[in-house]
Amino acid sequence: MRWETIDWQRWLVLARNFFLGKEANKGFIFRLFMYLILIDTAFIYVKPILYMMTTMVKDMTNLLDPSVIWVPRSLYFGHLSEALRLLKYGTAFSISITVSLSVALLQIVSCAIAGYAFARLEFPFKRTLFVCLIFTFLMPPQVTILPMIIMFKNFGWINTYYPLIIPAIFGHGLKGALFVIIFRQFFSTLPKELEEAAKIDGASVFRVFFRVMLPISSSAIIVVFLFSFVWNWNDFYYPSMFMFSSKEVPLSISLSRLAASLSAEAEQSGPSIFAEPIKMAASFLIIMPPLIIYSFTQRWFVEGVERTGLVE
Amino acid sequence: MSRRRLLSAVAIRKLEGSIFIAPWAFGFLAFVLFPLGYSLYMSFNRVKITASGVEYAPVGFQYYREILLADGGLLYNDLIPFLRQAIMMIPVIVVFSMLVAILLNQRFLGRGLFRAIFFLPVIFSTGQIIQEFITQGEGALAFVEQFQIAAYAESYLPKSWAAPVINVLNSFVLVLWYSGVQILIFLAGRQTISNSVYEAARIDGADPWETFWKITLPGLTPFILLNLIYTVVDLFTFPSNPIISKVNTTNYGLSSALAWIYLMIVLLFLGIIFYFFSRANRASQRIR
Repeated sequence: MRWETIDWQRWLVLARNFFLGKEANKGFIFRLFMYLILIDTAFIYVKPILYMMTTMVKDMTNLLDPSVIWVPRSLYFGHLSEALRLLKYGTAFSISITVSLSVALLQIVSCAIAGYAFARLEFPFKRTLFVCLIFTFLMPPQVTILPMIIMFKNFGWINTYYPLIIPAIFGHGLKGALFVIIFRQFFSTLPKELEEAAKIDGASVFRVFFRVMLPISSSAIIVVFLFSFVWNWNDFYYPSMFMFSSKEVPLSISLSRLAASLSAEAEQSGPSIFAEPIKMAASFLIIMPPLIIYSFTQRWFVEGVERTGLVE
Repeated sequence: MSRRRLLSAVAIRKLEGSIFIAPWAFGFLAFVLFPLGYSLYMSFNRVKITASGVEYAPVGFQYYREILLADGGLLYNDLIPFLRQAIMMIPVIVVFSMLVAILLNQRFLGRGLFRAIFFLPVIFSTGQIIQEFITQGEGALAFVEQFQIAAYAESYLPKSWAAPVINVLNSFVLVLWYSGVQILIFLAGRQTISNSVYEAARIDGADPWETFWKITLPGLTPFILLNLIYTVVDLFTFPSNPIISKVNTTNYGLSSALAWIYLMIVLLFLGIIFYFFSRANRASQRIR
């Protein structure tokens, strides 16, 4: 009789440990709850991408068949080639990649230089300039867009991609201030001994920066590169302001022109069931390159974010 | 002799620093400060772009008066719903991203995969793709329609607030899409709290609930402020923002005035956040 109660209690403890855990964040119920939230949210993030990829390969019969919701019965790549043609993918892609890649690379160098100066070096008006940096970050770009249009028009840069690239040389451009701040935070977390050792060996500031500091800041570089590349790739606002009447446009503008022409078509000749898959195919073609880059750099990116300390 | 050398060493250090900051400072003058002053000047003038150049005719405060007092359609009709919506979106974004960051920081099976998925918004949430998702109706949550929450909100909330509540609920998924960078910031912030603090708390017998309120939350406070700022800046500068689309090249003077008023609103909003944050911070420190 007595051993039975002990056994019963032991089972109870075991069961409690299984469900609630010895510590609350190890128990089965907590785990279940956590996975529930994570999977739910992950589904929200993945669903539009899945929808996009399944819709674009549906042909006429699959689109009209009400029993086909997610998985089409056959694959059809006509929409993809149609989207390729409508987007003028060849030229638009090469413009997008030239602009985003060059801006990203320029911003890495110029923002690193400025960030290093803010973190470690001394110069006159340092506090004032730092306030200017914060202000640049906070300011909506719309405040300065109209004067910049006039300014670039005077230089004859409208409808070229100089207005997108030139500011990046000086550490500005799309979200340039944020990248300077990221580099500043990163450099100020590094130990001072690194530079001091090099300085005692008689290296100049430039040597210290390009030979010692820049090579070890790979984690910050990856974070800035990915942000800069992706944001420039997706950016619609600046190109639409500076390249509004250009024939050769980046993909983001190409997509909005495509959407506009499809809806104009729908107004004239009634809605077409093909509009949706073509739009999805176009979206897919546009997010593909950043997605590929992300899948390669993702590992370092996540580590980089944690190591950069991004912020104080 | 040594004094002179010391001085010159300082001077050299300053010179080196100046060379490093010079490109950025030049860029600031050319691409921020000059356009800023120029747009302020334009906001007081009627600007006419002709083939030969730009003509200005001073109009004083006319445009400001027009926007702020005469024509409500220019600013208020869009601004007030947008501000209401922003006030509700900001806490949702910050709380959600904190929750996700804390979960992603746990050790569990498939953590790498989940992290990769949760950073997807960083890639998509800018640009045209998100617009496509909005028009597709990917933003809505199914339960909102099922339980007719919109109808409840309409009957129980004041009319001016019901619309933004429904709006946020309808675009709840989009709110989640906006929180990519915020999750990153919280994840990075969580790394700054050392594990030994948690260990000590556990040995003292603190339960996770207490640990969260006494350790994690105070440790994350600076990052909450940072995320608030980032979210405000992001929301207010998003190109699909209703006011921003009104800043265009049809009327340079009026658009510049609108942009300046908008800048003041953004700074005011950030100022309010700073004010409340510092007050809340001081109050919590007094309790501790």
